[in-house]
Amino acid sequence: MLDIKNLRVKLEDEDKIILDGLTLKVPRGEVHAIMGPNGSGKSTLGYALAGRGGYEVTGGSVTWNGDDLLAMEVSERAAAGVFLAFQYPMEIPGVATLTFLRTAMNSLKKARGAKELTTPEFLKVVTAKAKDLGIDKDMLKRPVNVGFSGGEKKRMEILQMTLLEPTLCVLDETDSGLDIDALRVVADGVNKLRGKDRAILVITHYQRLLDYIVPDKVHVLSAGKIQRTGGPELAHELEKSGYAEFTGKAA
Amino acid sequence: MTIAIIKTKAEQQLAAAFERVAASLPGASWVPAMRKAAMGAFVGAGLPHRRIEAWKYTDLRAQLKEAYAPATGKGATLDEKALAAALGPNLAKLPCNRLVFVDGVFVADSSGPTPDLGTDFHFLSIADTLGDPDFDWMTHAFEQTGETKNDPLLALNAAFVTDGVTIRIVEGATLAHPVHLIFLSSSAAPAASNTRNLIRIEKGAHATILESHIAVSGLARQNNSVTALHVCAGAKVQHLKLVAEGAEATHLGTWTADIEADATYNAFQMTESVALARHQLFVTFKGEGAAFNFNAAVLGRGKSHIDTTMVIDHAVPKCTSRELLKCVLDGEARGVFQGRVIVRPGAQKSDGKQMAKALLLSSNAEFDSKPELEIYADDVVCGHGSTVAEIDEDEVFYLCARGIPKRDARALLIEAFAAEAIDAIAHDGIRQALQARLNAWLAAGV
Repeated sequence: MLDIKNLRVKLEDEDKIILDGLTLKVPRGEVHAIMGPNGSGKSTLGYALAGRGGYEVTGGSVTWNGDDLLAMEVSERAAAGVFLAFQYPMEIPGVATLTFLRTAMNSLKKARGAKELTTPEFLKVVTAKAKDLGIDKDMLKRPVNVGFSGGEKKRMEILQMTLLEPTLCVLDETDSGLDIDALRVVADGVNKLRGKDRAILVITHYQRLLDYIVPDKVHVLSAGKIQRTGGPELAHELEKSGYAEFTGKAA
Repeated sequence: MTIAIIKTKAEQQLAAAFERVAASLPGASWVPAMRKAAMGAFVGAGLPHRRIEAWKYTDLRAQLKEAYAPATGKGATLDEKALAAALGPNLAKLPCNRLVFVDGVFVADSSGPTPDLGTDFHFLSIADTLGDPDFDWMTHAFEQTGETKNDPLLALNAAFVTDGVTIRIVEGATLAHPVHLIFLSSSAAPAASNTRNLIRIEKGAHATILESHIAVSGLARQNNSVTALHVCAGAKVQHLKLVAEGAEATHLGTWTADIEADATYNAFQMTESVALARHQLFVTFKGEGAAFNFNAAVLGRGKSHIDTTMVIDHAVPKCTSRELLKCVLDGEARGVFQGRVIVRPGAQKSDGKQMAKALLLSSNAEFDSKPELEIYADDVVCGHGSTVAEIDEDEVFYLCARGIPKRDARALLIEAFAAEAIDAIAHDGIRQALQARLNAWLAAGV
């Protein structure tokens, strides 16, 4: 289970507090959605879980299956099963996508004490999963995310999520920049990953994605705290009423 | 009134060394007079210093505290194990025409195999032919004219040259294997070697020529190496150089190339953390439709100082020149790039572009880049660019978030940066070998 207790996060370079005592539990086997207005701290939560620099944790705790995530390096968190699908995936010129995928997969296998993949094994699994997501072979030969459209970048994130076999998936605004067909492909990819040992946290501004990835629970994040928790119907309610109730509460 | 010029210790040592060894250097006939004239020219000007524009960032007078005694190389033998260790496994196993020089002297017994010898490819040791009346054409190879007129490194090399090779690739031939010239420094005492290679790629011939300048680790060396290349009409040559003589070595290297019509000269250099390197290239287009492509990977750490300075002379119309320098600098390393492109009057449709990029891994590293375009024609396309950057921490985070440990993530990004230059190498075996050396260099320190 992902267990976040009273998490407080500020920007390292500013005094601005972004997460202000966030508490959240996501059991294995469940899909939870975090919804909230712009500036509520949604992306910060994703970065804090993945361990991005520039975000300072000033209080609280985060554990995954009992292990203290905050004490780990970024790559160690990945080895422990954490995967953040980025809202804006980085472009990495000069590093071929296949090289990147193989390095990442084998780094994780090594860290998890599993046998590294041979080149034919690797190519076989990548080719098959890429096909499912409508990613063509030429894309895999290009440098990571360089020149990819918004939709291609998101598909690539889901491909990575599929290949790296995480147990805690955090999807940060995965629906932004996707047309309806791409959204369906991406959602299918995520739904295939649903399973009893895996927890999935879907961060989104809009309810639309949740029509395709139906969550077990919906949490409303505003002013750095979870303001309300409910079932999938909460997302529809928010779509009608907006976030005014919560931003008003915060003011 | 006379002006007393104060000579530095190194200049005095060089002059004294010449007096001491001149009589024992190879070459009869015109050679002793040529050596004496070259030494005279060098002594007159002294070591180059920062007030000479071409040496603005590499003050040899200040940096060369001491001149080592010339390596004699007499009775040199080759330690195959030491050679393989210095080359690295991939280069040591490269199928090639192998010519080996130890401490500045050709070691015929240890050279070979040379599978292409006799039909497509001919070579002779310079020491065996210098001053021989049958090889009088060589006198021209030691004349310094035009842009090389006052070059001190060429003068010093001419004065002290002990050996090297002349190579001829026969008209129309396509050499099956690369020629691998290996210059190994092995004597324990600090020493200087001076070698010169004269290479002629005849009409329409295709060849790959690799120079490896390497050393048994940690030797104090001052090596001055010159290669003069003549690329005849329609010929195509890939000319590469690896400089890895160790952290105590000074490498002074000059390449000159005359490129005739429709010929292609693809040059590549990789330099690994020597104490001081000065690479000079003097490239002259002699016929229309010729092309020059230069790629370089500079890998500096510690107190390494690596200078790449080139003069590209678009003397005739319709020629193309491209330069890409990728510089990775860590510690207190310093990289220098000076690219001078001259487009002569009437050299219309000249096309010249250069790009120098540095990746600084430390706040104490430094990169100096100075492009100079001298354009005397009006219908030309010329450009230059230069960038200096650090590793992008967002990119590191992205890689780490996918499970790649930070050290590996940084190495992957640095490798990607430097690989752009290495990827341009057409010969698969050499490209893979140099890629492996880059990875080994990264593994040793990043």
